[in-house]
Amino acid sequence: MDLAGKAYKAFLERQEALEKQYSTKNAEKQHSKGKLTAHERITLLFDPGTFEEIDAFVTPASQPVEFGKVERTFGDGVIVGHGKINGRLVFAYAQDFTIMGGSLGLVHSKKITKIQEMALKMGAPIIGMMDSGGARIQEGVASLSGYASIFQNIIQSSGIIPQISVILGPAAGGAVYSPALTDFVFMVNSTSYMFVTGPNVVKEVLNEEVSSDGLGGAEVHARKSGVAHMIYDDEENTILALKKFLSYLPSNNVENPPIVETNSNENDIIEKLRDIVPDDPNKAYDVKDVINLVVDKNSFFETSELFAPNLITGFARLKGKTIGIVANQPKVLAGVLDINSSTKGARFIRFCDAFNIPILTFEDVPGFLPGVDQEHAGIIRHGAKLLFAYSEATVPKITIILRKAYGGAFIVMNSKFLGGDFSFAWPTAEIAVMGPDGAVAILYKREISESKNPAELKKELVKKYRDKIANPFIADESGYIDEVIDPALTRKKILSALEALNNKWVKVPARKHGNMPL
Amino acid sequence: MPNEKPQIKKLYALSSENRKFSFSLPLKHTIKVGKRNYDVQIKSDEKYGTYILWKNRRYPLEIVKSSQNKYEILFNDISYTFNVETPFSLQRMKVLSKHKGKQEKELVKAPMPGKIIDVLVREGSQVLKGEPVVILEAMKMQNEIQSTVNGLVTSISARPNTNVMKDDILVEIKVE
Amino acid sequence: MKIKRILIANRGEIAIRIMKTARIMKIETVAVKTVIEPNALYLSHADVVYDITDESADIPVFLDIDKLIEIALKTGSDAIHPGYGFLAENAYFADKCVDNKIIFIGPSPDAIYKMGNKTIARRIALANKIPMAMGSEGNISNEEEGIKIAEKIGYPVIIKAASGGGGRGMRIVRRSEDMGKMFIVASKEAEKAFNDPSVFIEKYIENPKHIEFQIIGDKKGNIIHLGERECSIQRKHQKLLEEAPSAALDEKLRKEMGKMAVQIAKAVNYYSAGTVEFLLDSDKRFYFMEMNTRIQVEHPVTEMVTGLDLIELQIRIANNEELPYKQSDIKLEGWAIECRINAEDVQAGFAPDPGRIEKLSMPDDPYVRVDTGIQAGSAIVSSYDSMIAKLIVKGKDRKDALQNCKKALDKVWIKGTKTTLPFFRMLVRHPKFQSGNFTTAFIEKDLEKYYYYSEYEEMLAAWLATKLFIEENLSEDSINVDFKRGREMSPWLLNKRINQF
Repeated sequence: MDLAGKAYKAFLERQEALEKQYSTKNAEKQHSKGKLTAHERITLLFDPGTFEEIDAFVTPASQPVEFGKVERTFGDGVIVGHGKINGRLVFAYAQDFTIMGGSLGLVHSKKITKIQEMALKMGAPIIGMMDSGGARIQEGVASLSGYASIFQNIIQSSGIIPQISVILGPAAGGAVYSPALTDFVFMVNSTSYMFVTGPNVVKEVLNEEVSSDGLGGAEVHARKSGVAHMIYDDEENTILALKKFLSYLPSNNVENPPIVETNSNENDIIEKLRDIVPDDPNKAYDVKDVINLVVDKNSFFETSELFAPNLITGFARLKGKTIGIVANQPKVLAGVLDINSSTKGARFIRFCDAFNIPILTFEDVPGFLPGVDQEHAGIIRHGAKLLFAYSEATVPKITIILRKAYGGAFIVMNSKFLGGDFSFAWPTAEIAVMGPDGAVAILYKREISESKNPAELKKELVKKYRDKIANPFIADESGYIDEVIDPALTRKKILSALEALNNKWVKVPARKHGNMPL
Repeated sequence: MPNEKPQIKKLYALSSENRKFSFSLPLKHTIKVGKRNYDVQIKSDEKYGTYILWKNRRYPLEIVKSSQNKYEILFNDISYTFNVETPFSLQRMKVLSKHKGKQEKELVKAPMPGKIIDVLVREGSQVLKGEPVVILEAMKMQNEIQSTVNGLVTSISARPNTNVMKDDILVEIKVE
Repeated sequence: MKIKRILIANRGEIAIRIMKTARIMKIETVAVKTVIEPNALYLSHADVVYDITDESADIPVFLDIDKLIEIALKTGSDAIHPGYGFLAENAYFADKCVDNKIIFIGPSPDAIYKMGNKTIARRIALANKIPMAMGSEGNISNEEEGIKIAEKIGYPVIIKAASGGGGRGMRIVRRSEDMGKMFIVASKEAEKAFNDPSVFIEKYIENPKHIEFQIIGDKKGNIIHLGERECSIQRKHQKLLEEAPSAALDEKLRKEMGKMAVQIAKAVNYYSAGTVEFLLDSDKRFYFMEMNTRIQVEHPVTEMVTGLDLIELQIRIANNEELPYKQSDIKLEGWAIECRINAEDVQAGFAPDPGRIEKLSMPDDPYVRVDTGIQAGSAIVSSYDSMIAKLIVKGKDRKDALQNCKKALDKVWIKGTKTTLPFFRMLVRHPKFQSGNFTTAFIEKDLEKYYYYSEYEEMLAAWLATKLFIEENLSEDSINVDFKRGREMSPWLLNKRINQF
């Protein structure tokens, strides 16, 4: 390029200065920690050549600094812009740890809010890649106001455009609420962590010794707190997975989710499904086997895999169309509903409902988890969330009862009376107020205690109960479910149900919002 | 900012036994024996299902599990687990393994009260993350209690046919 | 009376094996259809299928003596073949058959009883001068008695269950300090497994070979042996591979052991097919272990080298026919090897891996025989054993048979569950196995790896993983997302949706 003249000279000098700022020295520093630079992350995320950066040359707020020092750098420690992912418009910001530790100053925050507002106006997803030391102490309250306006924007956009956070370094203090408010949080093992108060404060206040990773590492948030929905072993995998994840989501709440063309000729009759539920009603199996067989090949993307694994949630495709899946997992805690699984399920269902994603439920639930623990911690309150979310959702809702469907848990898991559109049951289903043993113990308490051979009588009664009550046929014959189906036909039945529900519309009552039992 | 796609020129498949296989990109559909390259073809038909054809021989294959960059493959009746790594992620592994601190202990606890049906590991057993270690009967169901880490079983407190309370320690694993 | 219809009190490959011979002999067969495997292959080989899928039962039908007798009577079967396992060595069942005028295709109830009880069998062997490991005269009742005997015959000794088999109720004792503990453990295990806590003591033979002799006798007292089988390849007392003959025997030893096998069978007036098991130590001394009073899983290897049909002989003998052969008629020709291909995960310590067999294709070379009860689509259910097929291969000599076995193993194609194939593929290439110089300790002591490993196969698998990774993550058209179609909506829905906001 041959650009002459004074104006161009300044232009070129600036560009040179910018390139110098992103020197290899900084990159190496990131790499030595096992991290990528903000630029590398952006490049990995977007389709080649599509990312357009905005505000690359802004500099930190120029008010006098009374304490500490602020480097005069371009961009103020964050890259913002838009580009295409799989050919679709997506907005993003990526904090740059190599510049003032990615700390959030006023200008830094203004760049983020600017891109947030654009994403909302355009009805496009937004991704935040976080790697920041926190609020910029030097800038004082201005930095805090920055956080507040970012939060405000996230809340205003919630349910309108998908908002996803990717934690690729530290996120501490108030900064953690930015990801917490978004729809999904990705984290990376060993190099990212989130906490409201760090290990130093914990040590000072409580005298407890804990590492950053032990306090708020990816594993902790994925397994224990449920804050992180997806975790990966390294950044490349995290970003690759994020791209894949985005392919399930629509750009906004007016659109339907995208469709992925599958060229494979899938067989809709799957005989293998007949073998999964064991004959012994007390034996566990992996409900993921059912999911993977029913949905398009390799299309199941599990969310919150490690948190409350007794309830599986995730996205998948059926004939290329996105569906949300909620399934009790008999393999873990018998698939029982407890506090964590209720809140996990409820949040997932609400996301699906907001973004026009039909919900497919696989049910095999023995009930709610009993115990002082759960009752005192408020299983009533938390269980109600799942109930509320299912009932409130207006997207197509289909349930397949695989085996156990007992008591209150049966009602909660998208039963027809809660507005479920279609409810199918496998012949192995047991639909009743409670399990055989419980029912027999209550109804025949005296007979059993007076019997000469109580064990034998109990066994006989349990068998009778199974034959007479705990089966899907009574519910079928009285219309409480739609059909008892051959497991091999499950995919076929779901596909035709979804087709029938394609234009489903439910008028929502005019109100500001319902009062979900939070 | 630079906009070109970072080119990945090589990928590494690391086996669970730490063998490393490297492949240049774009991936060639050949495997070399000595100096000669032999074509690899993936095929599928009614009689054999999916298979790989190599050196005029069919090898049955099945993709058992894939999550992230981890693939479990059943190939000629033997299962292999590979982590596919890029040059950067490989370097990251090296960097982070240097930073790795002391070995920690992981306690596998009973998630709910119940009866131990079976203990599937012995002291000194190597366990992998996700591998079942104890079978606990609770809620009239047999539950697999899995290890949450890779490591070595250092002590077992669970005894078959005994009852345990919630959070009772079942197995102790030294994280590796 | 001549047998016209046989009820097969068994399932799987052995049921089919029996039906095949019966068909040649123009005898009808009855199979029992159970709820556990209502579509099993063996049902299609039977002339009559008796369906009990509607009946609920507390014990599996193949263990239910009264039910089987009832089925035999209802279907007009004049004989029952028990196969192996289940009730094959249940003297009471054999007795019940006799009571109901049904021919039990097997030995007399008396012979089953005597050989089934190890202490009695030992006494008989002793009385007939059959070489045996030294040990207690009868059962031992406490630790002290055990120590006394052990000191007489020398450590190590083995405590065995009197009614046992299959390795349960067995404990090796190397020092007197351990006797008390082991006595209790063995006795408890025996009680749990066989309903009988009695145990006895024997000198423990270190690292022996397991050699067994097939014998066959008629009801007129003619008994001959059909040579030996080498069954040392076992894991936790489960046989995995058998061959006939054994590389460890020469003509002289074969004659001597065969004579002893016939001798003990004669002592209990044995008729039908039976197997006498011996341990052979490194000095080629042999010791009587036990006698199995049934047709065995590994009988095909004997059939392959003798050219006889053992099931046919069993039926003829049950029909009171005379044994058509003398010992001098029996010639062993060539070498046969049987691999038990089970649905087991060799990499997980041979753990059963039940599931549905999706594809199954077995070699059809002239030197191969396949006995199986499975076809593509069959399920391996956890209620029964995990056998998929027996691959039996013949050769001119051992080397030739091994070569053929290697080829045949590479042609076996099974998809759906993990199998023991990788184990056999390793075994046939193992120098020590090839040498023939191995003992029952081979798998535990000599093997570092239980399965075949080829660097090229692993490389192919690694290549495949890499290819999948590229397809899923790096290829430009990996995700062919159509966003436009997501935006297309019926006017009905579009209108409603827009008006909502």
